[in-house]
Amino acid sequence: MTQQTGRIDDFGMDTISLAGPLPAKLRAIRAAGFSQVMLSARDLVGHAEGVEAAIAAVRESGLRVTGFQVLRDFEGLSGRMHEYKVDIAKSMLELCAAVGAKVLLVCSSTSVHASGDRDLIARDLRKLAMLAIPHGIRVAYEALSWGRSIEEFPSAWDVVMRADMPNLGLGLDSFHMFATKTSLDELQWLDPERIFLVQLADFMWQEIRSVEERIATARHFRVFPGEGGHSEQVAELVSRLHAQGYRGDYSFEVFNDDYQQIPLPDVARRARKAADWLGEGILRRSVPLPGRMRLQPTP
Amino acid sequence: MTPPALDRELSSDASDILGLDGIEFIEYATPRPQALGQVLETMGFRPIARHRSREVTLYRQGEMNIVVNASQPAPVDGDGAPDEAPRIAAIALRVRDAAAAYRRVLDLGAWAVPTQVEVMELNIPAIHGVGGSRIYFVDRYREFSIYDVDFTAIPTVDPHPPALADMHWFGIVQYIGNDRMQDWTAFYSMLFGFAVLPDDQRFGVMPKGRVLVGPGSARSRFYVQLIEPEPGILDAKGKEWIARLGLGTPDPRACVALLRERGVAFAETPHVHADERGAVTRTQLGSVVFELVRSEKES
Repeated sequence: MTQQTGRIDDFGMDTISLAGPLPAKLRAIRAAGFSQVMLSARDLVGHAEGVEAAIAAVRESGLRVTGFQVLRDFEGLSGRMHEYKVDIAKSMLELCAAVGAKVLLVCSSTSVHASGDRDLIARDLRKLAMLAIPHGIRVAYEALSWGRSIEEFPSAWDVVMRADMPNLGLGLDSFHMFATKTSLDELQWLDPERIFLVQLADFMWQEIRSVEERIATARHFRVFPGEGGHSEQVAELVSRLHAQGYRGDYSFEVFNDDYQQIPLPDVARRARKAADWLGEGILRRSVPLPGRMRLQPTP
Repeated sequence: MTPPALDRELSSDASDILGLDGIEFIEYATPRPQALGQVLETMGFRPIARHRSREVTLYRQGEMNIVVNASQPAPVDGDGAPDEAPRIAAIALRVRDAAAAYRRVLDLGAWAVPTQVEVMELNIPAIHGVGGSRIYFVDRYREFSIYDVDFTAIPTVDPHPPALADMHWFGIVQYIGNDRMQDWTAFYSMLFGFAVLPDDQRFGVMPKGRVLVGPGSARSRFYVQLIEPEPGILDAKGKEWIARLGLGTPDPRACVALLRERGVAFAETPHVHADERGAVTRTQLGSVVFELVRSEKES
């Protein structure tokens, strides 16, 4: 991240925001001026001509792969269920490596069969990180706001610390952080080197009252940063992360049913607008004393 | 798996939980086995046996075994060597109980390598190591030779040729990608009980990187040296491989003189030359390098 260049390179789109086949998504993202893309395993596996063709399409696109998603409900299981999930994780790690992704996103478990014991969760994440080492992949663990026992980023950070593996870190998703109303002051306890990915999204309404509403909003009604009701919070989040030393990638994790029904270039243009707002308006203005000048509460 | 609490209590001998007892053999893969055989013979290794079903030859001197497998190794693009250059394809470790060691490392997140054995051949458990290489576990080496099962002796040849200049295994040197030092340190320390050597403790004439020391007795203990790309060089491909083998000898100068007589050439540059600490052979066949290191072998 440099001051001189436009900050568009710090932001990427997520394929889940776009309808259609993978090559069309990659073209639209590239055409909007982005240089990176967050891929979903479905993009590869669901490619009409198979996984190899999908990998070739990604490599030919010239886009850097921000990360690969998503391994779900991995941790806290035992016996046969654990063995099964380890197999799934290995398949995903191999796909992740094949497509040149350096980060695998793992969401905190929602499974009723999963233990909430943080030492057990840490043990499983340690194993996952060990599986990722020969492939050179980093594992970003994200607190899903409807996770069974890990639903906020401070809890996710706690198990990342317990697991204590160099290639295991945090994935942050602004939607989940805002949905649980977790205080951004908690960010100060994180080591920015161990934040491996930040996903940004906004949503229209102010309040999310139930877990059901939270899930529905997350899966269908997210919008790009700056389009919803939490623009200031997104701006504050980005500013704080920058001030703390985070220099990694930002990806727009925007699940939206409407965006699935409008032409890809139109969606990509909206994403570009969000990147310009955050990059030019928030991050650049935040140099050299990011955030502190206007966004942190004054004592 | 041992519960975390017990791990803590056992910490005094936890570092040698596998009962690691040195290197049983090193395996090279090469499409030109005879050319590599000639290089090994100049270094003092003698061909002593051939595999029953495959084009594989066993070379030996003293306690060191090298297996040469006539197969096309997986290329390591980015190391500058031609694709047909020999590669170090596997390291076989002596352990107390191979099945238990195998189960333990799989439990911690190692990748099992499916083995393909013919009838009456040994099924040696293996896991993935760096860059497509394998790590075997062997527990039958005291009263019984694994080579008696899979190999037939070459007639009239001494099956136990003595080591030149008391050469013995000293360690392996592994090239790693940018920012991968912590990952590979975690790999060797968690799976095998290696420990980081202090920076002021170095051996031989090639002191770069980080040196890990294996657990076990001084008689069989060996080292793993991890070397990152030169500072400032971004190794975009991030390829990683075992670059060379370290051979210990009590008197490197005498050993160098002996090997020179046999036709071995040593690197002589302003930075590296043979001296009382050690020496490095010139690269043979595009990739084969041995490093000599001063080391007394305890018996």
